[in-house]
Amino acid sequence: MEPILSVQNLNKYYGDQVGCKNMNMTLYPGEVVGVVGESGSGKTTFINSISGNLIPDSGKILINTNNEIINFLEISESLKRLLIRTELAFVHQNPRDGLRLDVSAGGNISERLMSIGQRNYGNIRQTIFKWLDKVEIDKSRVDDFPRTFSGGMLQRLQIAKNLVTSPKIIFMDEPTGGLDVSVQAKILDLLRKLVRELNLSVVIVSHDLAVIRLLADKIIVMKNGEAVESGLCDQVLDDPQHSYTQLLVSSVLQV
Amino acid sequence: MIELNKITKKFTLHNQGKTKISVFKNLNLKINPGEIVALTGPSGVGKSSILKMIYGNYVFQSGEIKINNHNIDHKYPRNIIELRKNTIGYVSQFLRVIPRVPTIEIVMEPLLEINSDQDEVREKAEKTLIKLNIDKNLWNLSPLTFSGGEQQRVNVARGLIRNYPCLLLDEPTASLDSVNKDIVLNLINEKKDKGSSIIGIFHDKYSRKYLNAREIDITKISNAK
Repeated sequence: MEPILSVQNLNKYYGDQVGCKNMNMTLYPGEVVGVVGESGSGKTTFINSISGNLIPDSGKILINTNNEIINFLEISESLKRLLIRTELAFVHQNPRDGLRLDVSAGGNISERLMSIGQRNYGNIRQTIFKWLDKVEIDKSRVDDFPRTFSGGMLQRLQIAKNLVTSPKIIFMDEPTGGLDVSVQAKILDLLRKLVRELNLSVVIVSHDLAVIRLLADKIIVMKNGEAVESGLCDQVLDDPQHSYTQLLVSSVLQV
Repeated sequence: MIELNKITKKFTLHNQGKTKISVFKNLNLKINPGEIVALTGPSGVGKSSILKMIYGNYVFQSGEIKINNHNIDHKYPRNIIELRKNTIGYVSQFLRVIPRVPTIEIVMEPLLEINSDQDEVREKAEKTLIKLNIDKNLWNLSPLTFSGGEQQRVNVARGLIRNYPCLLLDEPTASLDSVNKDIVLNLINEKKDKGSSIIGIFHDKYSRKYLNAREIDITKISNAK
């Protein structure tokens, strides 16, 4: 099996400041990679740099699309936009950043479909209902504006909006941050099911080790813009080798 | 088949004065198909560490671990993920699940990795839960609110619903009453008869005798005191 995404020696600086440096990652189909570290460690810079939200200074981002490997940083703007609308998806921490609040829930879900050329209203409407059902939002809310939704519903709507075009790679920046724990559990369950059913490949950023433990197969631990340790998620969390990872793991409160 | 050859394992606690704890030097172990090995010895001697090294949770400093001739090599996490999907089953001491997910779905999960027929998998999960004496009323509830013994049986159900060639069992009968203990032990024996290589920790003599397990006293081969 070939990796679907491979990041090699990626660097991103803000002037003299390191955003992230010398980052490497391989992601296989159906795999979930967690990126952890304290605030300011470069997690968000990293995920933004590999998903098209930021332009890195150097490195390679190789994406396997239709059995062809392309360097995301060397393709034309139009192809990049097409990939971002079809093969890639980005779920923001704050769903308000990823949704249009003055467009109905159904309108939000249909946006990506229409951007790739679907015009048949009946088909689109059917796909919308299918996805509302998948993310457990009542069909009757299809024409309501997202601003009337709760935080947990907004996050589920954002997930539906992103997954409707069956993207292969999903980037998520703290998808359960800011949600209360009961809603968090529901989103985690949804994400795990979707990963299995659709064989999604996911890069997920979180500072919550428990969330990463439940979702991720592999993990990257970041500090000051660099990866200090990476590998199998269970191993890095159960038998951390780097002093910073040991500190991080031993700092988690037990309930 | 599970093979451990010349394993060295130590822990280095960087934030506690770089304390080094040596657990194993030159550990050798082999579990054949259709065999049950029981690790014995007091707590802290390294019994769980052996299971965790085989499952890939713990790294080792030198030597090799082979599962059906595949190496456990932390440089290639993808290989370990594949082995876990197809070859090694692990029943841990504690249940780690997403809150609010129903018991039946937790038991179905390992089987859904290889079979996408929801109805077929559900039926098999139901059979396993019935075998393990989990009341039908509980199937649609999260196991996090269950008693210790019930949680453990859900964990066993999840670990034994498939026929893994290699099985790691970390005290699968510890908090069970005698009736349920026999049920779990019989299930483990079934797996043995199907040819699994099984290694486990069973802290009571009764279970070890019942399983006719080859006992290995870790105190003799461990460096940890």
